[in-house]
Amino acid sequence: MSDVYKSVVKPILAGFGITRRRLMQRRKKYADVTVQYPDELREQYPRTRWRHFLTRYDNGLEKCIGCSLCAGACPARCIFVEAAENTDEARFSPGERYAVRYEINMIRCIFCGYCQDACPTGAIILRKDFELADYRREDFIYTKEMLLEEYPGQSEEPFESKVGGVYVNG
Amino acid sequence: MAAAPTTDTVTISINDVEIEVPKGELIVDAVKRLGLEIPIFCYHSRMKPVGMCRMCLVEVGFKQPDGSVRKMPKPQAGCTLPASEGMAVYTDTELVHKDRRGVLEFLLINHPLDCPICDRGGECPLQNNTLFYGPSTSRFIELKRHLPKAFPLSRYVTLDLERCIQCGRCVRFTEEISGDAQLAFRFRGANMQPTSFQLTEFESKFSGNVIEICPVGALTSTKYRFRARPWDLETKPAICTVCSNGCSVWFDYRVGKFVRLNGRVNEAVNEEWTCDRGKFGHDFYNSPKRLLAPALRKEDALRTANWAEAYAAILEAFEPGGNAVAALTGPMVSNESYYLLQKLFRGVFRSNNLDHRWTRHLSAASDRLESKMGMPTVATSIEAFEHKSAVLAIGTSLADEEPILFLRLRKAWFKNGTKVVVACDRDTDADSFAHLVLRYRPGTEMALAGGLLAAAVESGRATVPDPVREDLKRYSPSAAASATGVPEDRIREAADILGPNAAIVTTHRLLDVADAQGTLEYLAGLAMCLRAEFNLYALGANDQGALELGIHPELLPSGVALADAEAAAEVGRTMGIEIPREPGLGTHELLRACADGRIKALWLVGCDPFALHADRDLVQRALEGVEFLVVQDIVETEATSYASVILPMLGPAEQDGTYTNMERRVQRLRQVIPDAGDAKPAWRIFAEAMLRAQPQTPFFSAEEIMEEIARVAPAFEVARYDRLGHEGTRL
Amino acid sequence: MSELIQIGGMNERPKPPRPEDLSLRFSDRAIRELEALETHYPERKACILPALWIAQREYGGYLSGEALAEVAFRLDRSYAEIEGVATFYSMYNTAHPVGRHMIEVCTCLTCQICGAYPIAEYLKEKLGVGFGETTSDGVFTLHEVECLDACDRAPLIQVGDEYYGPVDKAYLDNLLDRLRSEAASSVVKLADEIVQVHLRETERDR
Repeated sequence: MSDVYKSVVKPILAGFGITRRRLMQRRKKYADVTVQYPDELREQYPRTRWRHFLTRYDNGLEKCIGCSLCAGACPARCIFVEAAENTDEARFSPGERYAVRYEINMIRCIFCGYCQDACPTGAIILRKDFELADYRREDFIYTKEMLLEEYPGQSEEPFESKVGGVYVNG
Repeated sequence: MAAAPTTDTVTISINDVEIEVPKGELIVDAVKRLGLEIPIFCYHSRMKPVGMCRMCLVEVGFKQPDGSVRKMPKPQAGCTLPASEGMAVYTDTELVHKDRRGVLEFLLINHPLDCPICDRGGECPLQNNTLFYGPSTSRFIELKRHLPKAFPLSRYVTLDLERCIQCGRCVRFTEEISGDAQLAFRFRGANMQPTSFQLTEFESKFSGNVIEICPVGALTSTKYRFRARPWDLETKPAICTVCSNGCSVWFDYRVGKFVRLNGRVNEAVNEEWTCDRGKFGHDFYNSPKRLLAPALRKEDALRTANWAEAYAAILEAFEPGGNAVAALTGPMVSNESYYLLQKLFRGVFRSNNLDHRWTRHLSAASDRLESKMGMPTVATSIEAFEHKSAVLAIGTSLADEEPILFLRLRKAWFKNGTKVVVACDRDTDADSFAHLVLRYRPGTEMALAGGLLAAAVESGRATVPDPVREDLKRYSPSAAASATGVPEDRIREAADILGPNAAIVTTHRLLDVADAQGTLEYLAGLAMCLRAEFNLYALGANDQGALELGIHPELLPSGVALADAEAAAEVGRTMGIEIPREPGLGTHELLRACADGRIKALWLVGCDPFALHADRDLVQRALEGVEFLVVQDIVETEATSYASVILPMLGPAEQDGTYTNMERRVQRLRQVIPDAGDAKPAWRIFAEAMLRAQPQTPFFSAEEIMEEIARVAPAFEVARYDRLGHEGTRL
Repeated sequence: MSELIQIGGMNERPKPPRPEDLSLRFSDRAIRELEALETHYPERKACILPALWIAQREYGGYLSGEALAEVAFRLDRSYAEIEGVATFYSMYNTAHPVGRHMIEVCTCLTCQICGAYPIAEYLKEKLGVGFGETTSDGVFTLHEVECLDACDRAPLIQVGDEYYGPVDKAYLDNLLDRLRSEAASSVVKLADEIVQVHLRETERDR
């Protein structure tokens, strides 16, 4: 009988004890544990891996050279790259080659970050935008236009919430 | 280089394992017997070793009488070292590893390491060897050699000199295999560059092969440039259907689209080579002019229709049957489709108006050398040419018409000293290695062939029946010499060279000349008298198959002549149809009959008469004159605009089927690329048309058709799918 | 070298010359010499080096593309092979046309110690060209060479098949004036000397 008390009842009581202690403590100290998403959202950790970006060099040229190494590394096979040759008239990236098509199937993607590891130029990075939900399957195919930074450094900025959340202290 | 056929063996030890190998076998090959691998760059088993890259260094010693091994002071190149008695080879010592690291560090000094954008990246021997045997870092911090990148050496080949590791494979290929020697090393030392003369166009007919044998990305394909990476591609075995050689190839495709083609090893046919025509000639799969849906002419405009409408229209138009309907075929159609086409025409439309021939001379069933002289028209396999003592190639430019046979013939000359006599009315690539060149005046083929036979008769080496001897008086060597412009002594010498172990080669191109039949009979006679082999090779991918399977107005499958009533009836019974008795018309007559309006409905299967027939004007009148024209093709052609019905057909690699090459080798091509649009395999089109005309159990697969072909034409018994080997089987 | 390669007109390379389009410039004497040389060797391939010397003489000291093509044509070898051989050896002038006289300055150790560089600088300044260049009047080409094996005469220069040394500035002034006044090309003379060396006594045509 004492075994039952020792192994069952006592731990339960101890657990309730923790609950009681928390209840007794001042509410304010833990007020910011919970944010009221989608009205509020918090800055993500620096190494968070969510939405992909194709980054640019400071001079505006794309870093991506269309080498398809990301597609080769991808365990979910969700990346499709089609390359083409740069000309002096139409130059997208330094060197000979650039990606003319770059698509990621976000439904398939498991956000493992292997593509980022494989990229020889640091072109593809996974950043903090986690609001990837959508209504139609086709909309999950992120094309190159969607993935590419509009200006150098855009990917490093906190993302703008699609549902209108505002950043609160973390 | 393959070991010479010898029974001499020597005992060597590799990593202290004793093994018996043929004497003189190169160490780089010998170690493979133990499942070991020596890394290589410059060595290629089909070319002479040169020892340029030093990648294959091994430690070598010799057994001393006391049993110890005395090593040579320096490592040796395994690719230039023949095995000899008592040799002890070490491939796995610390010294060898250090050497390999050193060699690779040297090779990488000037290599740009632009692997991410290099087309070779992912399938690159330099990458692989560096990963397995190379150093992890380089001590070289100076500037690398800089040279122009992506230099267009020809329409097909792009040269990146920075990536070149100067192994010399490409240079040796053009010298030893293709024989045009259009690439050479210019300059020396670190500046050594494999380029063409004065950077002019590299216009070899086999330039595509250097792309494949380049161990780095220095020579890359212009057409494949940046199209895909190796890991994007799916690869399946296939055969090339551009010419009649039927090379084994790898088809590389990406998301269902054909991307590129590489040579696949088939020792009996192409070894591992391809020609440029084949390697770069498969663009039609991705052509913007691909026919993807059936179309029907309504009120003077072609409108997309469905298959049912198309079949209904066709069956209605072909209903009269007999002499009022006809079909012409092109070369890129499978055996199964040819068979069903002739069954459809003979059985349902009761017509023998079928032809696959587009040459000016169309030999009639009674003219054929098999029936007339008992002489097979295809005797020598491609492989057998290697061991012929002499070959006469007449009336053909082999490098253009039978490119892989050309390579084999050149190899025969290069390795075994085969004497090649080239007789053509123009310069050919084979002249470069010919023992004798007979340059005759255009149109005098018959005089030359007669002269050769007469010379053989005069020398007493050949005996001919008296009527032939009388006939040959016209072509005594001196008369032939004055007619053809070839010196008399050359004609005599050429006739002397030929003998029992010789082969005479000509192609259907000879059927384009005047007196084709006479020329062929003289040549066959010459071969017969000298007990040599005579070969009249087909030109189109499956022309030989079309001939064997009765796409001919007077011949039935298995070569039975229509005139032979009993045999023809027997063939008909096996096919389950009644063979119409009246012989059909040949291509020219057919077209004329179309122009006259005698033929009401014409079915073109995978052929563009404008491209294939010599008389454009006649073709135009024929296509305009015929009431109902079915154009069944892979891509849009000039003939499509005349069509009443367009039937889209799948390409060879998009369907299952077999093809008969010029040496009568039947090879299977499985479906590689998914179906394009609504297009169907040709055999399915014919099967469905037959089904709509007469209720019956249709054929569901190409394999079933081959089962029936094997029953009708027993030669094809070996080609049944369960028996057909990987390298195909000769009939 | 790489300056020969110019990117432009992508995918369109000029065609190699066809045999019938070649303008053959070998003199009768050269053809006789070549025929004699062919009998010296078991195959024509072995004849490439002397044939190139003949071409260098016949084409005025510079092996242009036409010269190489002619050698290839006459020996029935491929163009590329001949070019590969010619560009391998530094005494065949394949890179650019040369002047009447080729001044080769040795800058190896002994000459360097004895003042080869000031001599070379003086020559460059006086001729107004750098190493590997030809004066605008087409008389002199200046080259830097490795040891000429005459260290006892350092600093040494070579013009054609003549050694001059030890040289100083005054000597050079004299020499240049004398060479300028010489109409015959020492480059061609050198080529001819070498051709004659390859020929047997009875085959020489003087």
